[in-house]
Amino acid sequence: MTPPSSSPGNASPAPNDDLGTVLEQERLPAGIDDLPEPLVEHSQRERLLNAMARSCAKKGYGATTIADVCEGAGVSRATFYELFKDKEDCFGASMELALADAMGRIVAVYSPDKPWATMVRDAAAAFLDLLASRPTFARMALVEAPSSGERAFELYASGKRVLQSLLERGRDDPVEEVAIPSSAGRAALSAAESLIVGQILAGNTARLRELLPDVVYITTVPYLGQEEALRQSHAAEKAAVPADG
Amino acid sequence: MAAAGGQKRERWRPPRGRHRLPPEVIARSQRERLLEAAVRVVAEKGYTATTVADLTREAGISRTTFYAMFDDKEGCFLAAYDGIVDVLVRRVTAAYEAEEGWPSRARAGLAALLEALAEEPEIARLAMVEVGAAGPTAQRRYRAALQRLTPFFDEGRDFAPGGRNLPANTSRMAIGAVAGLISDEVTEGRAEYLPSLLSEVLFATLVPYIGPAAATREVGVTK
Repeated sequence: MTPPSSSPGNASPAPNDDLGTVLEQERLPAGIDDLPEPLVEHSQRERLLNAMARSCAKKGYGATTIADVCEGAGVSRATFYELFKDKEDCFGASMELALADAMGRIVAVYSPDKPWATMVRDAAAAFLDLLASRPTFARMALVEAPSSGERAFELYASGKRVLQSLLERGRDDPVEEVAIPSSAGRAALSAAESLIVGQILAGNTARLRELLPDVVYITTVPYLGQEEALRQSHAAEKAAVPADG
Repeated sequence: MAAAGGQKRERWRPPRGRHRLPPEVIARSQRERLLEAAVRVVAEKGYTATTVADLTREAGISRTTFYAMFDDKEGCFLAAYDGIVDVLVRRVTAAYEAEEGWPSRARAGLAALLEALAEEPEIARLAMVEVGAAGPTAQRRYRAALQRLTPFFDEGRDFAPGGRNLPANTSRMAIGAVAGLISDEVTEGRAEYLPSLLSEVLFATLVPYIGPAAATREVGVTK
């Protein structure tokens, strides 16, 4: 068990660590700070954000302690308090980081040139793939964030509002001429979310893509009607297995 | 932030001379008191901030008695939670079964659920929101509670003309839509207005089974 000689002393994160992937790819909004931050401090912060997400995925936000986070990051308690006010602050920062990246991916799928139903399907597929490939993020964003302090809740709610506004474009172009309630889009998203969270809690995060036909159906049926929503759902079955590459 | 000892809450206590009551009766009333206390304290302070000491103080029982009944705060919370869910499911079931025809049954069941939650906003908060903060076991318990409503939704499949062709998880998703609309309202601190949500919640229930046009018609029928 000899580590590569060039390896720095910190415990290396799990290879498919979600936030880690985000951070390593430097997909984060750059240039938030004008002040040049010492590089080491920057990486300590990132390690803490990752450790926070991992610990929450493992034992839940409530049971996570600052000691867990510091140990997971290989960072001292004193450093933690230099960077964050408290546990809630650290969790909020962790969520903010991951969410910005995730929402960027979903929004990127949308294009005004595609038919609405195609966009819903593509966005749903991108979202499910994202969650499936980043179980730590999936758990943090959908299971822990709604009940882990105000800042995290606000971030969770704002992510949901973005998805909702994308979905509600369907209202522009209803197939059946009926006045559906204004909450129909929000309800449909909650329906999909509930199914997804159930699978995450059941330990089936890696197989979330299989839910695509269900998610397509529930999010389109209020706008397109049953017949067309079923057609879209069946079409999505073919896409329910992610194509390689 | 323990409530300072200023105003004392009225608490139910066993009648005087309770030493003459059989021990199992005393244990039972202590347990009930504790579960009621858990609902009040968690609704007020939130699950995370609640301590075992808060619970024993509110219930007027000793720490030893607490630990004779539960291993920890979580165990106590889960028992309180199960009690709440049982009551809610009983009320929904009774209202649902009193009606004929699936859309009317769904309307009656949902109305009963909304009214029950609106009557006791602190219970609504605990059942729909705080449960998320109480750890992985409680989160699974919440899912299980929602699944107890599945038979009511599955009847929609038999009712709907094309019900058999619907996606496998239709009932789970419809339940999720209802729970989402309710918890959004409770999170906003509007639990007492839940009954006014009936037509939206009913639409969300019906639409996956019968489509938007028929669902809108059903929602409009006899309020």
